[in-house]
Amino acid sequence: ATEWNVSVWGKRRAFTEHVEKLAELVSEKTDGEFTMNISYGGLSKNRENLDGISIGAFEMAQFCAGYHRDKNRVITVLELPFLGVANLEEEVAVSSAVYNHPAATDEMAQWNAKLLMTSPMPQYNLVGTGTPRDELAEFEGMRVRATGGIGEAFKAVGAVPTSVTSSEAYQAMESGVVDTVAFAQHAHLSFGTINRAEWWTANLNPGTVNCPVVVNIDAYESLSDAEREALDSSVPEALDHYLSNYGQLLKKWDEVLEEKGVEKVELSDEVIAEFRAKAADPIRENWIAEMESQGLPGQELYDLVVKTLADHRGGS
Amino acid sequence: MSEIQIGLWVTGGMLVLVVLGMRVAFAAALAGFVGLVWLRWSGFGYDPARFGKALEISVKIAGQVPHSKVSSQALSLIPTFILIGYLAYYAKLTSALFEAAKRWIAWVPGGLAVSTVFATAGFAAVSGASVATAAVFARIGIPEMLAAGYNKRFAAGVVAAGGTLASLIPPSAILVIYAIIVEQDVGKLLLAGFIPGAFSAVIYAGLIVAIAVIFKSVGPPVTGFTWRERLVSLPPALPILAVVVIIIFFVYNPFGEAWGTPTEGGAVGAFIVFVVALLRGMRFRQLLDALLETAKLTVMIFTIIWGVLIYVRFLGFADLPHAFADWIASLNSPPMVILICILLAYAVLGMFMDAIGMLLLTLPVVYPAVMALNGGENVAAADSAFGMSGPMCAIWFGILVVKMAEFCLITPPIGLNCFVVAGVRDDLSVQDVFRGVTPFFIADAATIALLVAFPAIVLWLPSLA
Amino acid sequence: MAGSSTVLSDSSLISRLDRTLLPIERATALLSGLAAFSLMFLAAYSVAGRQLDRTFLAPLFDSIGLMDGPLPGYVDYIETLMPLIAILGVSYVQREGGHIRMDILVGRLHGRALWLFEFITVLCMLILVVALVWGSWAHFDRSFDCARPLCSRDSSIDIGIPIWPSKLVVPVALAVLLARLLLQLAAYGRAFVLNVASPAAVPLIQSVAEQAAAEAEQLKEDSK
Ligand code: NA
Ligand code: NA
Repeated sequence: ATEWNVSVWGKRRAFTEHVEKLAELVSEKTDGEFTMNISYGGLSKNRENLDGISIGAFEMAQFCAGYHRDKNRVITVLELPFLGVANLEEEVAVSSAVYNHPAATDEMAQWNAKLLMTSPMPQYNLVGTGTPRDELAEFEGMRVRATGGIGEAFKAVGAVPTSVTSSEAYQAMESGVVDTVAFAQHAHLSFGTINRAEWWTANLNPGTVNCPVVVNIDAYESLSDAEREALDSSVPEALDHYLSNYGQLLKKWDEVLEEKGVEKVELSDEVIAEFRAKAADPIRENWIAEMESQGLPGQELYDLVVKTLADHRGGS
Repeated sequence: MSEIQIGLWVTGGMLVLVVLGMRVAFAAALAGFVGLVWLRWSGFGYDPARFGKALEISVKIAGQVPHSKVSSQALSLIPTFILIGYLAYYAKLTSALFEAAKRWIAWVPGGLAVSTVFATAGFAAVSGASVATAAVFARIGIPEMLAAGYNKRFAAGVVAAGGTLASLIPPSAILVIYAIIVEQDVGKLLLAGFIPGAFSAVIYAGLIVAIAVIFKSVGPPVTGFTWRERLVSLPPALPILAVVVIIIFFVYNPFGEAWGTPTEGGAVGAFIVFVVALLRGMRFRQLLDALLETAKLTVMIFTIIWGVLIYVRFLGFADLPHAFADWIASLNSPPMVILICILLAYAVLGMFMDAIGMLLLTLPVVYPAVMALNGGENVAAADSAFGMSGPMCAIWFGILVVKMAEFCLITPPIGLNCFVVAGVRDDLSVQDVFRGVTPFFIADAATIALLVAFPAIVLWLPSLA
Repeated sequence: MAGSSTVLSDSSLISRLDRTLLPIERATALLSGLAAFSLMFLAAYSVAGRQLDRTFLAPLFDSIGLMDGPLPGYVDYIETLMPLIAILGVSYVQREGGHIRMDILVGRLHGRALWLFEFITVLCMLILVVALVWGSWAHFDRSFDCARPLCSRDSSIDIGIPIWPSKLVVPVALAVLLARLLLQLAAYGRAFVLNVASPAAVPLIQSVAEQAAAEAEQLKEDSK
């Protein structure tokens, strides 16, 4: 029998449902010969899950690219602002395209890791207090809790990204340390920022984080053929389960907005275009130049994302 | 051997090492490390050829922990709170506070002792470490009480017990540690400590007055301060008030539009005490001493933190916390009985262990069990065993265990505060201090019983926030 | 629990080595204290910057480029400083006998029996610390690659500063501790073999009277 330790963090939530489902499916398909023991924070700190995979502390783990950009430069392409990803299906499509690119597999192989699947996250829209901000000029001086590429994007239009941990985000909002917080919906719900919100940007879609699930290569290769087949074949099913589960959460999100009287702010296409030109373009060019200077195919990766998105839309 | 059995053997081994006198932090880390190797090698079927691999993986897992666990913004509150305590001493805030308390309340029976308790409570509002508070007031309060004809043991007991208030009254290093282990809101927990802390101070004061009234010779009243003397004693102590107000603004956000997060509040409070110390003539050498003392206490505490967390990492791989929570949940006794048993177990354990080490060692296992007992992390108050929601139960239990941990600071044989007080005074033995502190056990036991019976004392403030 | 303790010195090699190591250890502890001190300034600066940025003074601070809003990467800087504060002085505390322990048992022992127990517990610590130096070095090594900009293979979450310098603190601090433990092992071993009553270079548990006398001395120093 094979037993894998799996390191994730926090509590069981929408964000970990595909891992839970994968464990269930694998065990079913192998008649309990191959089981996964999922640990929520007991095996590693979330920012060190990739280290844990590299040293063989556990066999499977989840992490987010933005936690440590220098550990995983290639997949940070998926965290660039305003990629234009509109829904979770598109997020799955662009992620798996990048994950299969040799530059990504090579970089992860240096950590003894193989990218298995993504944990698709919706776009990090803002909740805010005060008057809704729907003109670019109104972002000037706005204190926003946003990290990584999204933080940079807001900075480019004059906002002030402010460091507070996600667990302090509610308090920071309540105390006026920040005016707005950028999170995915489930985090707005679980960190309580929705309770302080007066408005929510429904269509700003500034970007998201990319959080892959990886497996230790040695462990993967030492699986029996049947076990490996069970694992590989369960990935699409696990992702389907994740998507339908998250879909229900998004439905609930709309109800919560209504119940709490939070205003849904729709920005006009012109404002979004202006935002993209000011924030997304320079950040992307900068990112590509930086990757190319380190010998990574930055342009190629970005083009891959754009092409995948176009293909996905064309095909569906 | 099953993972659980390995977990139990390793835990037993750790206790043996601790009893043999190995430094607690390193005993826990060694146990954790050996446990990791054992667990991994048993996973390899004890294949001799793969022992090296098991060793290497375990070394690397353990080697991550010190850096990984201390690099935390929330934990930065600990050095800050300790630094405030030492700076406040050189800012002469502690003696000013004691002087003011003395002139206003020394006239009651046992008045100097009551003054000491209130002054420690006031100092507790800027200091985060009980031991540092006891050390400071042993130097300030005890000489005055002895000069006024107080019983020596009683005076020492007052200081040792008063020092413990620093852990409940925010800011508090130990509450921060609890919040981090159980992943709860630091601000709410600090807020929750305020009323139980003040409540403890009042119970101590009541006890002192009662003792002084019954045994006339123990603590005679000190009279003769004019109103003028009383009034002039207030301004030198005022900076404490300023720091308290600032910390309140950061931690509690009373007017909605507040100034920042608790972690920032602690650091800004330290900055103000530093400025006051400079204005009151702190010398460069004294600043260096304060920094060196801060470093010593901080490093000591953090070594326990990462050492124990190596052991906790091993527990995670052995899956012991789950097993224990399941076991507790499967017991058929009423939840309140189990909770009281847990608190009693802390009282016994606390006799032999240091407070921080005790919390770090036990909480990863005990906390999930208590939450399960109440009905789960997200249970609503109506469906819960203790009549409070999951997050509120986390706060309530936190205050209870911190109060237990304070209790441990004055219980023999290893009541750290008593050792510190005896260490500072050349005319007191540790036995003297332990004898003097005995009445305060009773006060603490009463306080804990009240906090268990009336959770509202703890939960009222945080429920407003 | 660990009360205060004293370290004697004499003309032996072990004691001379102790006195060579001590200034290094004291410097690491002082550095740790200074880092804690800087934490305070960092917060004061960040908060002041954020608050001033909301007042009419904002344009002034904007023009001098100081305190212009919250300090970017505030959390990253704190997380980088923490290992320095928390770990660097670990050997100094060991030298002074300041790490907490239970001395119910060892407090009752004298002479050879005591040195034997101390030898065994220090040996156990030594084994652990060797493992931790290895493991924490590996942790550093994974984040360090000089083929890359700033040698960085692991960066902070907010402003992307390299993490390796802060990871390097741990094996360095533990290596100093390793030297200290070797020295203590030699001192306890020698005390056991030669049956020395009060060996140099190791913290001796003080009797209550000795301890109080030392504290009184300390107080006199303070009041000067
Ligand atoms: Na306090
Ligand atoms: Na105790």
